[in-house]
Amino acid sequence: MQNFGSNNELDEKGHVLNEQPKIKVKFEPKPKPSKCPICTIEYYQQFFNIEQRDVYMRIRCSILSWKPEFHQCVGKNPDLWGPLWISTTIIFILFAGGNLSRFLLEEDKKHFKYEYNYMYVAVLIVYAMAFIIPIILGVIMKYILKSELGVFDIVCMYGYSLSAYIFVLILCIIPYNEAQWFFLMCGLANSTIFLLVNLWDFMKKNKQTVLIAIPIISFNVALILCFKFYFFRLIYAVDD
Amino acid sequence: MDYTNQKNPQNYSQMEDLKTLDLEESVSETIMRDLKMIAYKLKYVLIPKEQEDNGKELRNWDLWGPLIFCLALAMTLSFKADSTTNSSKSDVFAIIFVLIWVGAFVVTLNAQLLGGKVSFFQSVCLLGYCVFPINIEAIIIAFVGSYLPFVVKLIPVIICFAWSAYSSVGFMASLVPPHKKKLAVYPVFLFYLFLSWFSLIV
Repeated sequence: MQNFGSNNELDEKGHVLNEQPKIKVKFEPKPKPSKCPICTIEYYQQFFNIEQRDVYMRIRCSILSWKPEFHQCVGKNPDLWGPLWISTTIIFILFAGGNLSRFLLEEDKKHFKYEYNYMYVAVLIVYAMAFIIPIILGVIMKYILKSELGVFDIVCMYGYSLSAYIFVLILCIIPYNEAQWFFLMCGLANSTIFLLVNLWDFMKKNKQTVLIAIPIISFNVALILCFKFYFFRLIYAVDD
Repeated sequence: MDYTNQKNPQNYSQMEDLKTLDLEESVSETIMRDLKMIAYKLKYVLIPKEQEDNGKELRNWDLWGPLIFCLALAMTLSFKADSTTNSSKSDVFAIIFVLIWVGAFVVTLNAQLLGGKVSFFQSVCLLGYCVFPINIEAIIIAFVGSYLPFVVKLIPVIICFAWSAYSSVGFMASLVPPHKKKLAVYPVFLFYLFLSWFSLIV
């Protein structure tokens, strides 16, 4: 009898001595213990646990920004659907609307050149404002300033604060300087008031936490300045 | 094996039977067969009357069709890029190509995150096939657009956009629970709006 490298020792008759524990091979797929829970789809599914009615209510809370109802709307269920698709809609409006606004001003409409760079800049600015800045602020608030709000609560809030800009930026297509500034100021006021009113409970704790208002206001102001001076800049034809 | 339906296979499983002949046939026959399969799927996806079995045919997904339509759209839109935009042809081609695939990926991911139980590639396949009407409008606008006023150009754009959106909305809405339908459908609408806008401004 040939012994093809068995683990077991054999006596002179070929019987097994001191049987080694056999290695069992199971073919059941084991759920991999994820080293990176944030990297799986399942982790993010908890943020899409909303219905269309909830999204409508949250956008309504954001537009009626002076009422501090957002935390009641959200409850324990911050979502990422709103921030993602509101910011993507804004990117589309910036690209299409920015080019359209320039087109309306252009005298030589036949030879108008569309600016595809608007797409890259829009993606950069809007996704930074909707995701990167709130993540940084959220981490600072949660871990340094000891807020009860989680990072994703802040991301959700920032995302919905941008919803006013959807209407504002459509109106900014009208190629009049004063009109554009007026609409952008309305959007700025709405968005900033929404953020400050809903973070007021956190901010009134002590002097340190009030300081969080400074980056919030500055980033919003920077955002509308980008909108005005890059996407909706009015280039008047100069008569020489 | 039944060869009588060889010229006009009635469904995909009969096409599968034909695959055993692969190595013996000429290249042109293989290509023609693949093209027929793409045309068959296209008709299935875009003409609602064909869908008698509620989308089961889509389980046989393929990415050749979407790739062909994506390349055709990107090439059409970059065709006159030098004269209508400040970017080069290759920039425009790259934007469109990336937009279609990343867009299809994100829209499908959105449906999955909302609780939709669908194979990832099945959904990408459907979204890719539904890009075909956008292709048609891009070709129309590219070749006759400069002779038409803006308002007249809008008509094929709106029709083709509505056709694309309508074809894919039925499938996407059926994936998710009833209260989340609009949340799954809106990104599809936005995706085709982006592409329609690009074909309008070419």
